[in-house]
Amino acid sequence: MDYLDFIDAVQSLADGVLFGTTYALLGIGFTLIFGVMHKINLSYAAASIGAAYASLLVLAVMKAPPALVFLVAAAAGGVIGGVVYLIGFRFIPLANPLATLMSTVGLLLLIDEIIVHTTQGVPLNYPALFSDVIIRAGPFTLRGDLMFVFLIGCTCMAVLLTLLYRTRLGIATRAVSQQPTAAQLCGISVDNVNVLTFVITGVVGGIAGAMIGAAIGMLSPLLSLPLTVKGLVVTVIGGLGSIPGAIIAGLLVGGLENVFQFFRGVSERDLYIMLLLFVFLVFRPGGIFAAAPGRD
Amino acid sequence: MLKRIAVLAALGTVALAFSTPVSAQERTVKITGFGAKSGVVRIFGVNSEAALKAAAEVINSSGGVTLGDGSKAKFAIEFLDDRCNAEEGISVARRIASTDAFVAVGPTCSNVAESLFGVLQKKAGDASDTGLQFPIIADVAAKGGLAKISEWAFRNVPSEFDMYKSLFAWLKTQHPDLKTIYGGVEKDFAHSNATFGVMKAQAEANGLQVLGQGEWLLADTTFSTQVREMRRANADIVAISAHPFTTCGVLKEMERQGVRPKLLIGLTSSSSIETMQGCAKQAEGIIIPTSFAPVTPEATKAAENVAKHGGSADLHSAAAYEIMFILKDVIEKQKIMAKPDTVAADRVKMREGLAALKETMGLLGKVGRADREAIKPFLYVHAKGGSWVVLHKPAS
Repeated sequence: MDYLDFIDAVQSLADGVLFGTTYALLGIGFTLIFGVMHKINLSYAAASIGAAYASLLVLAVMKAPPALVFLVAAAAGGVIGGVVYLIGFRFIPLANPLATLMSTVGLLLLIDEIIVHTTQGVPLNYPALFSDVIIRAGPFTLRGDLMFVFLIGCTCMAVLLTLLYRTRLGIATRAVSQQPTAAQLCGISVDNVNVLTFVITGVVGGIAGAMIGAAIGMLSPLLSLPLTVKGLVVTVIGGLGSIPGAIIAGLLVGGLENVFQFFRGVSERDLYIMLLLFVFLVFRPGGIFAAAPGRD
Repeated sequence: MLKRIAVLAALGTVALAFSTPVSAQERTVKITGFGAKSGVVRIFGVNSEAALKAAAEVINSSGGVTLGDGSKAKFAIEFLDDRCNAEEGISVARRIASTDAFVAVGPTCSNVAESLFGVLQKKAGDASDTGLQFPIIADVAAKGGLAKISEWAFRNVPSEFDMYKSLFAWLKTQHPDLKTIYGGVEKDFAHSNATFGVMKAQAEANGLQVLGQGEWLLADTTFSTQVREMRRANADIVAISAHPFTTCGVLKEMERQGVRPKLLIGLTSSSSIETMQGCAKQAEGIIIPTSFAPVTPEATKAAENVAKHGGSADLHSAAAYEIMFILKDVIEKQKIMAKPDTVAADRVKMREGLAALKETMGLLGKVGRADREAIKPFLYVHAKGGSWVVLHKPAS
């Protein structure tokens, strides 16, 4: 490896870590829903992309600044999150783990097809902030728009952690997550907490969708499935239900993806990410921050 | 009594006035198209359907098609969705073949065509081959050489080999100063991957030194690593064999990293409105060979007609448009009856008629035919000011 290779490898890692913020946001959504309901919502990434698409409606009616588009994406994400809960969870027997899993698979495909039928599958431009800003540090460059995505992602995570650990809603959410029956006996409405969890994770998803659109500069229905897989990988590596784990895992997967791309090429890149997933499943099934498994 | 007779007479007159003689009843020939109408390639199916309907409307308004018994018929178009999935494509084609249809138009995706043509009878008339005996003419599936798979398979798609061969030869004469080329390819898409092989071979054949290639997947979201390699190669030409979503992603990343090759070459499928919608600014100057542009009165009219039916005319949908006129000619020449009891015979006649074609009339001029494939005229377009502008017509 010569000097230029080294520079490129570090640059790839940095770009990947910055983009990994979006994976972290998706991972948080997956993990939060799992934490509260012990269910996997497979439609989460598709709903996030759907929210980003919905935000483009603002541009259709007015010349809106990108910040407003992002806010609309967050709001649309919240609405879609609520709808996903109503369709995919509210009336489905929660005791049957397969039922909700399949209902969210159905929702994933449904949201995807709605996007495809609305846009004919044509990629659409998505606004970005600071896309023309390049920060140079010696031989390295950092994209302004990715830095912005990173900052927004970090802010979201901070707000979410504050919400969970510093508010009554957060206490209720954690109570339902840990002891739903006891929480109900204490007067907490499990249904309300569940729907609020979906709305909040939907808002985070909407922001993730908008940030993904801003980072790529475009939206395409092609994004839903790969992002679903990435979100799940991040959730497992981070540890199901662990928000700090999802954050670190998102950045890790984003960075490693680019590093594997650099060293091994596109045909092997995803192979190594999946191998990493299996390594975690075997040696650290509880995720990054889980206690080391003891002997049975 | 008189009153009753008068009423009966009046009723009889009304009945006669509204009845139509059987002989004058209008016949309908249903042509079924199929392709991707869901999923990310839905736009191809939407455009093909619009083109088939637009062409059918033109034919119908000028009297329709003359059948083997001398009667006139109007075309009716039906379009089925195969989701760009090989299994569904085969299932859809079998469903069409189980009806009175004597030909089908499609599919969109090369992977579907490859599998589907494989279930057709390989050699027509071979009694030992129980493959499906049903003529299919493809409008979009562009991977080279697919019609070779079966004698029941036909295509009206341009030859990308010929297009890029001509383009690189032309570039050699126009830009003799350009010596090196770097490629970019969407590795997991049959069409992009196959066409990149053609581009690379033609570049080398014309004396260009290939400095390397960047690879990505159809749904990739970041291209920084690949573009950095591209920047290091510092080639005179960058050739991108990818569909609009990743083509735009790569072009935007090239702009961010300041990669400015002297010449950009793109994939045929990217000479579409999608690229202009996605990254007109970054695509400025990219040269793409295409078999369709609204440069003749027929092509301009066709583009308008397709737009009226909710589609967009491009090199793929224009092929579907032309196919309707090819089918009309073959039906008339082969005296196809289009009746339920002549289905098997009509299919054979259609196959033989299509196989016998040596030349058809396309929207850009005469289209030669050999080995059930089209030899279409083409031109080079380049992105200029947010639209596709004709750069050069090799035939002229």
